[in-house]
Amino acid sequence: MASNGRELGGVFDHHVQRAVCDTRAKYREGRRPRAVKVYTINLESRYLLIQGVPAVGAMKELVARFALYGAIEQYNALDEYPAEDFTEVYLIKFMNLQSARTAKRKMDEQSFFGGLLHVCYAPEFETVEETRKKLQERKAYIARTTKNKDHYMTQKKLVTEHKNTKNFRQDFHSETSGFCAAAVNTSTGNSDPCFPYSCELPLCYFSSKCTCSSGEHVDRASNSSQDGRNHDETGEHCNHKDSLQKMQIKTLKNSVACPGAQKAITPSEAVDRFMPRTTQLQERKRRRQDDRKLGTFFETSTSSNEVVIGPLLPDIPKVDMHDDSLNTTADLIRKKLKEVISSVPEPPEDKLEDMHTSHSVKQRRRI
Amino acid sequence: MAQKPKVDPHVGRLGYLQALVTEFQETESEDAKEQVLANLANFAYDPSNYQYLRQLQVLDLFLDSLSEENETLVEFAIGGLCNLCSDKANKEHILQTGGVPLIINCLSSPNEETVLSAVTTIMYLSSPGSGSHPELTAMPVVQCMLRFSLSANTRLRNLAQIFLEEFCSPSQVAEARSWRAHSALGIPLPKTEAPQQP
Repeated sequence: MASNGRELGGVFDHHVQRAVCDTRAKYREGRRPRAVKVYTINLESRYLLIQGVPAVGAMKELVARFALYGAIEQYNALDEYPAEDFTEVYLIKFMNLQSARTAKRKMDEQSFFGGLLHVCYAPEFETVEETRKKLQERKAYIARTTKNKDHYMTQKKLVTEHKNTKNFRQDFHSETSGFCAAAVNTSTGNSDPCFPYSCELPLCYFSSKCTCSSGEHVDRASNSSQDGRNHDETGEHCNHKDSLQKMQIKTLKNSVACPGAQKAITPSEAVDRFMPRTTQLQERKRRRQDDRKLGTFFETSTSSNEVVIGPLLPDIPKVDMHDDSLNTTADLIRKKLKEVISSVPEPPEDKLEDMHTSHSVKQRRRI
Repeated sequence: MAQKPKVDPHVGRLGYLQALVTEFQETESEDAKEQVLANLANFAYDPSNYQYLRQLQVLDLFLDSLSEENETLVEFAIGGLCNLCSDKANKEHILQTGGVPLIINCLSSPNEETVLSAVTTIMYLSSPGSGSHPELTAMPVVQCMLRFSLSANTRLRNLAQIFLEEFCSPSQVAEARSWRAHSALGIPLPKTEAPQQP
């Protein structure tokens, strides 16, 4: 089949639809079944070949459908291209590569006028200039993206340094550089238990010629949320934190609270620190009760002077917790207390004290 | 198929890539290796993954896989390298770890995609004006590109032409032309080609 490819518009290997892979391990199965294929910048192209178009004179509709993904520069039918009976083959050239990529992803295997479209790239239609431009744009894109990440990481570095994490960050970098040297020398890389890779990632690829240069590049970020998966901009920093915690730098462990600049927590960090909010509330409540019990144990007088706010006040001051869900919870508790107070005066004493103590406690920081 | 690693959904991108690398190293199944390598090579397309890939030494994994007997693995590995080698840090790593001879070897592969990826990788590793790495514009490579530039395969022809125009000096090209007239070349064209007459 590939030998026909010599003429333009012949059938190439990369036009042929591969069979979908059905033997993938479950953890790496995607949402859609896909073939095993690697896409490089060589393969991708502004030119798309569309096979399986029912021969019902629907060229305009086809082009209109594809034009949803971006401006189309030209299109034509490929009459010489081998096609199944009653189907046609079209070539569509997009103005830019990204539109073509999107169109291919969305339109492949879509039904159209009763037939299933097979969309693939057709880089063999490119001119030398178009190929050259394509390669240059790819290079520029990568340079731009990594430069932005560097810039972002530098900025964030300044912010976090400002928040007195400066020293340990320098230590961290020197330690990882040290680790990398160690990793090169020792084939197992598990020699020193205080280095992050050996504890966290004993499973990175080691070859006989391994020279780990990642130490220099550890501070290069990958914090763009470009592919929008569960990794967000705090990824780099939180990875550091995760490793650092494992490094058991005790003095720094407490100071590495998520700085104010960071809002979200990556899942990796979440594994270490996540506790459901209700559990925390109950935890604090329990601790307050214990403290109070201890306090009253040592106190001789149990006069109402000890109580922060008297249980018999008719209304409880409403404090805004600056959080909708906490406010809702607080409102519910207040309502319940009002009901209980009105029915039984004595028992709610503790609860009320808790409530007021909890209200006088500093605003909870949202997890 | 392959045993399922215990991947906590909270672990995120790095953990997933790590699981892929682990499976690649541990599995006995060629199919699984191909699938995983293709997966990694596709991840190499997105710059946001580069720090993880470096951290997990996937670049070395790709370079090592170039020596595999399985042609599909070679194709995917060079594809992965092609995807990530235009990044400055990745480029330095490849150059420093002696990846260039391995990539040049791929030029003689019978697999069309492998050759195309190899040519593109060589281009991205070079700096214009043949400044960076002398191996990348050595005589055998230039001669090879000359042959490719006359091929009937449009994609190959285009790439070779760009290489000769942007990364070789005119004198190198002229020298390669004169050499061709006299010596037998050691780098065959990929199987998809009918032999070309100079």
